Amino acid sequence: MNRTMNLEQRTALTGIGFVTPTVIIIALILIYPIIQSVVLSFGQSSIDGSAPYQFVGLKHYAALMGDGRFWNALGVTFTFTALSIPLELALGVGLALLMNESFRGKGLARLAVLFPWALPTALNSLIWRWMYNSDYGLFNAVALQSGLADRPINFLGDTSLAMASMVVVAVWKTSSFMALIILAGLQSIPKDLFEAGRMDGMTKWQEFRQITLPLLKGPILVALIIRSMDALRTFELPFNLTDGGPVNATESLSLYAYKVIFDFLDFNFGAAVVVVQFLVIFAMSLIYVFALRNKE
Amino acid sequence: MKFGVNGAVAIATAIGLGMPLAAPAQELVMSIGSRGYGGMVERNIEGFTAANPGTSVEWLKVSDVPGDSRKLYVTGLMAKSPTPDVFAIDVIWAGEFAQRGWLEPLNDYLSADTIAAYNPSFLSAATVDGKVFAAPLYVDGTHLFYRSDLLEKYGIPVPKTWEEVIAASKTVMEGEGNPQLYGFVSMWAKIEGLFMNWLSFTGGNGASFFDADGNVAVNSPESIAATQTMVDMIYKDKIVPDSILTMKPDDARTLFQQGRAVFLMVQDFVYAPLSAPDSPVAGKFDFTRNPYFAAHPEGYSTAMGGWLLAVNANSENKEAAAKLVEYFTSYEAQLTAAIDENRAPGRTDVYAAPEMQQASLLKKLGEDYAVGVVRPSAPTGNLYPRVSETMQTEITNALHREKTVEQALNDAAAEINSILGK
Repeated sequence: MNRTMNLEQRTALTGIGFVTPTVIIIALILIYPIIQSVVLSFGQSSIDGSAPYQFVGLKHYAALMGDGRFWNALGVTFTFTALSIPLELALGVGLALLMNESFRGKGLARLAVLFPWALPTALNSLIWRWMYNSDYGLFNAVALQSGLADRPINFLGDTSLAMASMVVVAVWKTSSFMALIILAGLQSIPKDLFEAGRMDGMTKWQEFRQITLPLLKGPILVALIIRSMDALRTFELPFNLTDGGPVNATESLSLYAYKVIFDFLDFNFGAAVVVVQFLVIFAMSLIYVFALRNKE
Repeated sequence: MKFGVNGAVAIATAIGLGMPLAAPAQELVMSIGSRGYGGMVERNIEGFTAANPGTSVEWLKVSDVPGDSRKLYVTGLMAKSPTPDVFAIDVIWAGEFAQRGWLEPLNDYLSADTIAAYNPSFLSAATVDGKVFAAPLYVDGTHLFYRSDLLEKYGIPVPKTWEEVIAASKTVMEGEGNPQLYGFVSMWAKIEGLFMNWLSFTGGNGASFFDADGNVAVNSPESIAATQTMVDMIYKDKIVPDSILTMKPDDARTLFQQGRAVFLMVQDFVYAPLSAPDSPVAGKFDFTRNPYFAAHPEGYSTAMGGWLLAVNANSENKEAAAKLVEYFTSYEAQLTAAIDENRAPGRTDVYAAPEMQQASLLKKLGEDYAVGVVRPSAPTGNLYPRVSETMQTEITNALHREKTVEQALNDAAAEINSILGK
């Protein structure tokens, strides 16, 4: 057999051999759970396997459509994403431009910017929860003593403030991540482009609009994709900061799915929530991939 | 995660060493938090193994935060793990776990006298279809803690009704003139504790969760009026800070301990930290039974929580496991726990012991526990987590004034009826 193979076939076979283990692992840890979730979401099964799996079709999805809490969670997830991503992007570009300049203590500055990103989200959330606390938190102490407020502000306990408070933490933490990716893009822009621009008498703003920004589109899109995927499945932040409260005002889809599955032990309904979330993120990534392809 | 490993290892070792399997050395695994029952766990295990040679007990220390240990148990129990053989469960899980078939009925193992000695409210929470699925270990109710020094300063007697609590709060807050001082704090974040608190308020106004015919009655006029009082305490009487809506038991306890609240209504575990020598309020506080509304003196009771011991339905050593449960809940062991470690016994007969007459704290608790009410976890069974969560959401809606009290409780009733399939 071997002798009849030509070089191309043999190379292909070697390639397949190298790829197979990875494909198997991905299939096991990625594809299998996805399929299992879809299967669960279309059926009724007992959690301990004492009753057999029963196909119930779209029952859970129909229930989902009439579930106010699901729509609330979906709305919260979208609001959180729509509010935090643009802010993170604007701040990220600014930080990246700043870090790209050469100045004294640049290394230290970069380290300081990366610090929030390096801390685990759970830890960040706990730190911020204390700072937000209305009875012994830092912000209220400052606001009350400086006279900015005459009574404590309940950042996390007020339905209209909680989302904003959560977005601030997200922006604080992840702007530096955006900055990092954009900085890498910045450094790959050839210096002579700017020199040529300066010779033609471009202002700094023109340089930014006409040279920097167009060349940064790729990195910005990549940063946007990664961050919006993250934001759409945000869990640790609301879990640790507000536990979804007050009155589910910050309950994201992930948090709702978690509660349905682990607190109510309703795996089938929870799987339906997860599948919808999967579809949302999948659709979002398709849009981005399409946009990215057009830009190139 | 130690689930399932120990039993397997024990058997494998037994076979490997060629021991006769007919009379193996039994190894029980017991899981309970390390703070909740204090040093009594080790003392009881020592006593039990001394009395039962050939049986050893391994203590699997789990989290004292009920939500965390629950997740651990549920994962293991779903997988039919044979260990832990004996585990401590929150009183509100008993009905659910029993209905799911995770607990071994104890009627065949414990004598009728033993069962009759257990606290009846607890026993009812652990009884499904006439079978007892868990044995009460210790009781942890909620009480109204108050600053005895401040009440004395203004010549106010210890309040028994909510009307008196509100009036006393206003008097003290006005008199002290300190904007940092609140009247009443409690655990009104969206947690189980909020539901406990609400049951105490509504129960104190003569309302009950289910009416006499078993219908959901959370939106009865008595219940609505009591909930309205909770809302008014924040916005109208202004004796409760609106930050109460993010407070868990320890947040409220911290404020009270810092001297920033006149009244505190949380679980009894706060007694120890509040009375510690370095506590700013040590010697300046006391506690009393949860208040009722003046028109409903029959609602003078306390909302009870606490822990029970249960035997895993898949345990390979059920007989020995039940013996261990019996040992922990025996008269002698519970008396020792009460005298030495201040744990309120899950048996009613212990409160009558002559030694208890000196333990004034527990004697006082015992009187309240005798009239205590438990949450509706037994009748709602495995749907309890959903019912409780719905109540927490709608009570929070009312407290935030997102909905009127009536609207919130009507919505809660409708939702619970649909959860229970009524």
